[in-house]
Amino acid sequence: MHELVEFAVEKALELGADYAEARFEEKNGTSLAMKNGSPEGLEVLADRGIGVRVLVGGGMGFASTNVLTKESVAEGVKRAVKLAKAASRVRNEPIRFSEENFHEVYYEVKMRKDFRDVSPEEKLELLRKIEEEVKATGVNVPMRYLSYSDQVWHKIIANSDGAFIESIIPRVSIMYNLVVFENSQMEQAPFVQRAFSGGLELIEKDEPWEWAVKDVQALKKLIYEGKKPPEGKVDLVISPEVAGIAVHESVGHPYEADRIFGREAAQAGESFVKPDMLGERIGSEVVTVIDDPTIPNSWGFYLYDDEGVKARPRYLIRDGIITEFLTNREYAYKLGQHSNAAARAINYNREPIVRMANTYLAPGDHSFEELIEDVKLGVYMVSFNEWNIDDRRYQQRYIGREAYLIENGEIKHPVRRPILEITTRALWSSVDAVGKEVAFYPGTCGKGEPGQGVPVWMGGAHARLRDIPLRRP
Amino acid sequence: MFELNEFILKKAKELGFGDVVILTYETNRRQVRFANNEITVAKHWHERKVELFVELEKRIAGTTITELSEENIERTLKMLLGNMKGMSPKEDYYGIAEGPFEYKDIPETFDKAIVELDEPNEYVERAINAALEQGAKRVAGVLYTDHDKVYLTTSNGIEAFDEGTGIEISVRAFIGDLESGHGTNSVRVLKKFDPESAGRKAGEIASLAKNPEQGPEGRFDVVFDPLAFANLLGYMSFMTSAYAVEAGFSPFVNKLGQKVANEVVIIKDVGNLPNGYGSRKFDDEGVPTRKTTIIENGTFKTFLLNTSLARKYKTETTANAGLIMPRAWNIVLEPGEYSREELFGEVKRGIYITNVWYTRFQNYVTGDFSTIPRDGIFLIEDGNLKPIRNIRVSDNLLGILSRIEAMGRESFHIHWWEVRTPVTTPYVLVKDVGITRATK
Repeated sequence: MHELVEFAVEKALELGADYAEARFEEKNGTSLAMKNGSPEGLEVLADRGIGVRVLVGGGMGFASTNVLTKESVAEGVKRAVKLAKAASRVRNEPIRFSEENFHEVYYEVKMRKDFRDVSPEEKLELLRKIEEEVKATGVNVPMRYLSYSDQVWHKIIANSDGAFIESIIPRVSIMYNLVVFENSQMEQAPFVQRAFSGGLELIEKDEPWEWAVKDVQALKKLIYEGKKPPEGKVDLVISPEVAGIAVHESVGHPYEADRIFGREAAQAGESFVKPDMLGERIGSEVVTVIDDPTIPNSWGFYLYDDEGVKARPRYLIRDGIITEFLTNREYAYKLGQHSNAAARAINYNREPIVRMANTYLAPGDHSFEELIEDVKLGVYMVSFNEWNIDDRRYQQRYIGREAYLIENGEIKHPVRRPILEITTRALWSSVDAVGKEVAFYPGTCGKGEPGQGVPVWMGGAHARLRDIPLRRP
Repeated sequence: MFELNEFILKKAKELGFGDVVILTYETNRRQVRFANNEITVAKHWHERKVELFVELEKRIAGTTITELSEENIERTLKMLLGNMKGMSPKEDYYGIAEGPFEYKDIPETFDKAIVELDEPNEYVERAINAALEQGAKRVAGVLYTDHDKVYLTTSNGIEAFDEGTGIEISVRAFIGDLESGHGTNSVRVLKKFDPESAGRKAGEIASLAKNPEQGPEGRFDVVFDPLAFANLLGYMSFMTSAYAVEAGFSPFVNKLGQKVANEVVIIKDVGNLPNGYGSRKFDDEGVPTRKTTIIENGTFKTFLLNTSLARKYKTETTANAGLIMPRAWNIVLEPGEYSREELFGEVKRGIYITNVWYTRFQNYVTGDFSTIPRDGIFLIEDGNLKPIRNIRVSDNLLGILSRIEAMGRESFHIHWWEVRTPVTTPYVLVKDVGITRATK
């Protein structure tokens, strides 16, 4: 494939492209599902193709094909160049890319237990283990949907500026949806996922059945012992899982430079953040938010982005101050910066756009006990179900699934569906203490058109928020 | 392509597979994306692929083959066989449809003019200009052209072919940061394409939405624009799939034959809808697509089914395969009798929501959810529209269906980034919709 990728870049330059980039991607894997104890069958993924992106006269063109012959790739290149030329006539200013140092690199994530050597039936055993452990709790769980997926992503990226990056990244995940029915009430843990870059050993070590058991036991307790949450201004301690979704939605997304400049306006939207807000305070001094693609075995892992730029941790907020946006080469140029390697494409048939990887609230200096002990009246939100945010990323809401009352420094009974509905600035300005320990939770981040759901981790430390106007359903 | 399908079927049978379904696609798709009144990228996709479904003594597997050499096809089939032999069976698998069937052409689903269209940028410029003429300052959006061929062969003697085209545009117009509007137009034949209408609507709403004030909270009568209601019906369509019901993702569980909506509500899935963006002659196992009434006068009539699930529940398929998960083709909410003016006239004090996004459920089985209005939002007071902002619809899906009070008499076919299953819907008036907002 190396030759075909190089051929595509050369062909584009020959046809008059000012810049050319070709990306071969091959994805192989299996997925399995189990619905209410019954296996649903096997899905084998075998997908590959080449995408070509070019700049001609300041216009951008992209074409892809999964017919991997020289003729078909040449046809694709021709189309991309033609599309870019035509697009350049409907532009006010030409698209330019930032200057970067490029490398020729091969990297690979090793599997200790290679899932390609494991039979589908053995993989199904992982789901059976969840079934059995959930059944053993004695909790009534009438609807159970479990799925397993593994994939190996093989990429070869070359561009006309000298990048040549080849990578092999295996990814493995388990997802469950569990509906608990007790005492004539229904509660649900939907789309709970555990996911890693690496081999099957990571799932085995993580023990997703333990997570499932905790979830159904917490939901049963919520049904029998849950009370209304307090209303009005109280303190709120959020778990790493809730901190994770909050940093992803209200820090990561609005700091994507393509949104800031309006490129995603018709789909994912724009941003309340403007270029001149760099250096502005957005949260309290204890708030630092980092997006880091390089965390080993993370779900959002990569070492070079899909424009061939070397990845590094990005400090989006440092001590409460906006310090950095997420950029690709197009928007780094507009900002007069170098790219911080946030360009990701989900497959060969998608263009690289600005994305998060693993976004988290950086740890502070409080133990969990210290966070709780001086809360007079408050709520500890452990997990959430419903969440959403407006398309400028300013008005958000998270509804607790598992949550508890905090009274005089002690965690008490479960509370039902406490609702945090708050602006981004108020959220991060209300944090007065952050925990020491960090944990991560996987998700699929949606953006782009056509959609590009990319694997990400979200997480961080516990955080304590003061004087939050909490709601009830 | 049928030769390829025949080859795969022959080899699969030689290896001992039972049910075999081969769906071969050839697609050509173009996209022009734009923002800030200029084209940000233009794309072309060419794909050829075989989607293969095989069964071996109630064990089932699926895969996609893109490298179509005879060697790779045989290798893939042998790999599937090897993997399936040790697998546990799917006990509730009941087979695929038995043909042959007769297929009818669906009017307005193929247009040579779209295949031959050289460059669609002119339509983008027309849409942008239509929005700018209404007072918009920044216009963003996307245009697609589609040309698809699908060849189906099954081990039950079915051979079917369909070829379709489409062209569609989605336009969002902005004046300031908080003032925007959205319009779409999705059609299958070029002469019905009206990019200006999408641009004009986006520009008009943006202009009406100038200087919005913080919206109220409480319970309000809400007029949902077709764009907004299509979003909710799109989520509902997934929940009507028997698969989603079994997997715990639907409030329609145990609701067959029960009231789930106001009596005025009739919701159908129409697989053979003329000019429908999701229309196709046959489903994934070759059953001719048709009209299926899901909700009739407020009563839930059927889940969406394929042959296997239909046999499991001792009924007939609704021609919605998905071999694993049945899916809707085009959801249609039957229109009412109100003109747009009459519908708004029913509301003394309420809210007009032109678009929503980010619909998320707290509990899929109870249907509790919220969604965020975006683009123009208006307080309706004594026939006047006053722009507001920053509110959230916080309600229950079955509750919304039950409180549908009236519907417009004109329908709109909606398909865009937030509405992936095409939906045809009129303007809809819903009573007592829960509205919340951030208070800090």
